[in-house]
Amino acid sequence: MTKRILVVEDTEDNRKIVRDLLSSVGYELIEAVDGAEGVALAQSERPDLILMDIQLPVVDGYEATRRIRAIPELAAVPIIAVTSYALSGDEAKTREAGCTGYVAKPFSPRQLLAKIREFLPNEG
Amino acid sequence: MISLNSLLVRPVARLPWRVQTKLLAAFLAIVALLIVLGACGLYELSRVNQRTEELINSERKIAAYRQVQHDTTSQLYSISSALLVSDQRTLDSALRQLNQFGYDLERLQFVAKDEINLLRKVRQEYDRFIAVATRIVGLIRSGQGDDAREAQLKELRPLADRLERLTNELVNKAEADVVADIEASEEAYRISQMIVIGFALGAIALSLVLGRTISLSLIGPLREIDATLNEIASGDFAHRLRIPNRDELGALAANINRTSEQLGRLYRELEEVSQHKSAFLANMSHELRTPLNAVLGYAELLVDGIYGELPERPKGVVERIQNNGRHLLALINDVLDLAKIEAGQLNLTIEDYSLGEVVDSVVAATEPLAAAKRLKFTATVQPGLPMARGDARRVSQVLLNLVGNAIKFTDQGEVAIGAAVEGRQFVLSVRDTGPGIADADQERIFGEFQQIDNTNTRKQGGTGLGLAISKRMIEMQGGVISVESVLGAGSTFRVVLPVQVEAMMEAAE
Repeated sequence: MTKRILVVEDTEDNRKIVRDLLSSVGYELIEAVDGAEGVALAQSERPDLILMDIQLPVVDGYEATRRIRAIPELAAVPIIAVTSYALSGDEAKTREAGCTGYVAKPFSPRQLLAKIREFLPNEG
Repeated sequence: MISLNSLLVRPVARLPWRVQTKLLAAFLAIVALLIVLGACGLYELSRVNQRTEELINSERKIAAYRQVQHDTTSQLYSISSALLVSDQRTLDSALRQLNQFGYDLERLQFVAKDEINLLRKVRQEYDRFIAVATRIVGLIRSGQGDDAREAQLKELRPLADRLERLTNELVNKAEADVVADIEASEEAYRISQMIVIGFALGAIALSLVLGRTISLSLIGPLREIDATLNEIASGDFAHRLRIPNRDELGALAANINRTSEQLGRLYRELEEVSQHKSAFLANMSHELRTPLNAVLGYAELLVDGIYGELPERPKGVVERIQNNGRHLLALINDVLDLAKIEAGQLNLTIEDYSLGEVVDSVVAATEPLAAAKRLKFTATVQPGLPMARGDARRVSQVLLNLVGNAIKFTDQGEVAIGAAVEGRQFVLSVRDTGPGIADADQERIFGEFQQIDNTNTRKQGGTGLGLAISKRMIEMQGGVISVESVLGAGSTFRVVLPVQVEAMMEAAE
């Protein structure tokens, strides 16, 4: 069964890069443009993994992650935080909010893929 | 002190005169007092002199009066003798003595001009005495001895008694005058003594008070000005001088206040501009990165064949796009780091870490680069390094930068990393066998955009900001970064860092 990944990302280009990358290796993509939509889609779609941008409009990535973790069915889903470069202490903050992994922007698609495979090893 | 200050110093300071004028006025006041003192002294001296003259005069008078008394007595005696003997010689002598009275009276008139009334009486009495005496002598000569004796008893003797009383009166008066004069001159001496002492003390006190007042009115403001200048020098522009002086010092204080205000305003403006600049840089580099990330992402997808395998030539071009994009990203990241450090926004994340692990991660990241250049690459970590406390990511960033540089600039030979502990400090070293750095350049390379040869930036890659950022990051953790190098014989960069960064920083505060 194809693994489904929810991408919460407000920049169109970043979404397209992730989409092109992940669909090329056989993942199914669900896309949300802000934190609130991300929480809603996570609840309705039950993805296997969530890529969570931290700097988001409406509801930021920290808050969205906390809300998702509050949903019992989603307590164990891997959430990989994607944060801007060089904001020191970000990794600790994302872990506090409930993220499982951490990728710093700018990420290279290869690095991102490697990180995703840590959590979904049987794909690609 | 407080009363002197409020009574004199402030009013003197407030006088709208120049300092020179104030000093001149003070000196003139003292000189005026001295002149008055001199005048009083002279006046008293002349009075004392006058008293002395009066005293001498009185003595003369007394002598003259006594002479009159004496002459009167001797006249009576000679007339009595003439009556008894009545020879020619005795009579001549009596007449001569009568003439003597004339001189006496002349003298009296000369020495006792102030006793005119009494003298007139004396004169009248004398005139009568002489007349009677002359008559008696005449009677004696004509042989009328009885008549002469009777005239002597009834006329001459009472006249002589009256004369004696009058002259006694004059003597007493003159003696009383002498006593009064002596007392008066003693009094005058005492008064003049008091006046001289009083004025002298007054002059001394006045010079002390004026000297002190003027000094205080100058020194006080000078001290305040000094303190304010010190504050300005240490960067505090809020203080304003409040001195009451309306002289040159007042003008100086006003100027200093204006300067301080001006400096303070400029300082605030500069600070604002600097913060705006830093904020602008931080925002700009973030905004620049977003599209650049997309460019790099697409390029990587293209190279990786996500959109289909690329032919060799376009693939090479896309790889060049990727390389230039990465260089641009590195530049932007470094500028952001610097901007954050300048703006004081770069916070350290202090945590426990292992320096050995940091070295291992840097070695892992850079080993392929060294291998590609066929360099000997070693890392020597002293066994049993203590657990470190500090910002591991920043330390790792610095070491990565140093090792990256060493590999970049060394074409043959080796790059050696060392990590050891000396006392309570770690010593990290990166040694290479590269071209080395001239003495003159060794300080400069830690500045922004300072590579030894700017053309190297293009040829060798790198942003020219790495060492500037490294230096700041190490200094933020209480450490020191330095370089030892001989041109042509390689370089050794050395980082000395406290094992316990937090403890060090606290101790420093």
